[in-house]
Amino acid sequence: MSEYNKILKQNIWYNNPVFIQILGICSALAVTNNLTNTFIMTIAVSLVTAFSSLTVSIIKGLIPRKVRMIVQTLIIAFYVIIVDIVLRAYLPGISKALGPYVGLIITNCIIMGRAEGFAQSNGPIISFWDGFTSGLGYLAVLMVVAFFRELLGFGTLFGYRILPEGFMSWTIMLMAPSAFFMLAIFIWVAKSIMLRKEAK
Amino acid sequence: MKKESKIYVILFTFIISFVFVFILALANELTKEKVKINEELFQRKAILSAMGIEFKNDEEAYKLFDEKITIEKINDIDIYESIVNNKKVYAVIFTGNGLWSTIRGVLAINSDLTRIVGVDFIAQSETPGLGGRIEETWFKEQFRFEKIKDGKIKLIIGGTGKGDFNHENGEIEAITGATRTSESVTTMLNKYLEILRNLLGGELK
Repeated sequence: MSEYNKILKQNIWYNNPVFIQILGICSALAVTNNLTNTFIMTIAVSLVTAFSSLTVSIIKGLIPRKVRMIVQTLIIAFYVIIVDIVLRAYLPGISKALGPYVGLIITNCIIMGRAEGFAQSNGPIISFWDGFTSGLGYLAVLMVVAFFRELLGFGTLFGYRILPEGFMSWTIMLMAPSAFFMLAIFIWVAKSIMLRKEAK
Repeated sequence: MKKESKIYVILFTFIISFVFVFILALANELTKEKVKINEELFQRKAILSAMGIEFKNDEEAYKLFDEKITIEKINDIDIYESIVNNKKVYAVIFTGNGLWSTIRGVLAINSDLTRIVGVDFIAQSETPGLGGRIEETWFKEQFRFEKIKDGKIKLIIGGTGKGDFNHENGEIEAITGATRTSESVTTMLNKYLEILRNLLGGELK
């Protein structure tokens, strides 16, 4: 069990895919201007990472080295399209809101990174766990960024109005560049906490 | 067979692609009906709300559409007709280019073509939070019973940012930070106002 715990801690904090490995930044910029979309998108990323790691791990013995990246991409694309199909059929409202972003999950480097870096050389169940927790690490960071962007950009959280009606919303928060600032501030804070802990 | 041999690589790639694509095709086929129903429902809901017919849930919307709306084809364009509050209302589905993508929506208009009854959107992929806000209620409500002046709707850029709810001036406000999308929508609507005038034979007022 301790191994699973270690992976969880590594992926959420010590080796977080977003603020330590600086992966998956493109989607962090695009989807984080409202919490609902961010949440569904990051859950989808977690599931896709988990299942593609699982699949890669199961068939790793069969994959020839030469084509392993292509096969990984195929597997990831497969799960992304499955997510897209499920959303379109059963959650049409959300599918509409996310629009092209669902298809863009495939460009998320975290998924490929976990498949290549972990699932290629580990067992199926632990790979599944590693993929899923990596997704959670991604979720945690994006939710924090989205929290501030939605609050300051719209004055709402999950679509519910929090700040008073007269609040002048910050249009910059709705645009992609603001995610750069938010992410940079987040990395700064997280790293400072980390360094302080190390110093002790 | 050796794992790194050319034949194995080709066979493996072929088989794995086949298996995955087969499952995808299957999943797509199985959900096709449901997706179609969802799209139909979106369209029906958009037409109803553009016309100002209220509904509580999806089933009611589906039923109301069948009960209240008749479809007439004029010059290959579907014109939706209904009586709302004892007044005849026409609606048409419009499409046009937004900033990034095609925008589809419904434009409803009164019988003497002097006022827009309502506007709603069926599909759009504008930037969420900017152009995507055309789907927000305040933006759409600006069009509610808006007077058409010189056959047109005018877009005001750099207004209060809260919307123009004076429905007599023929003006609506652009979305802050999404001027291009707002312009596209206005252009589209004006184009379709003209198409409707031609189809329904109204005079310019």
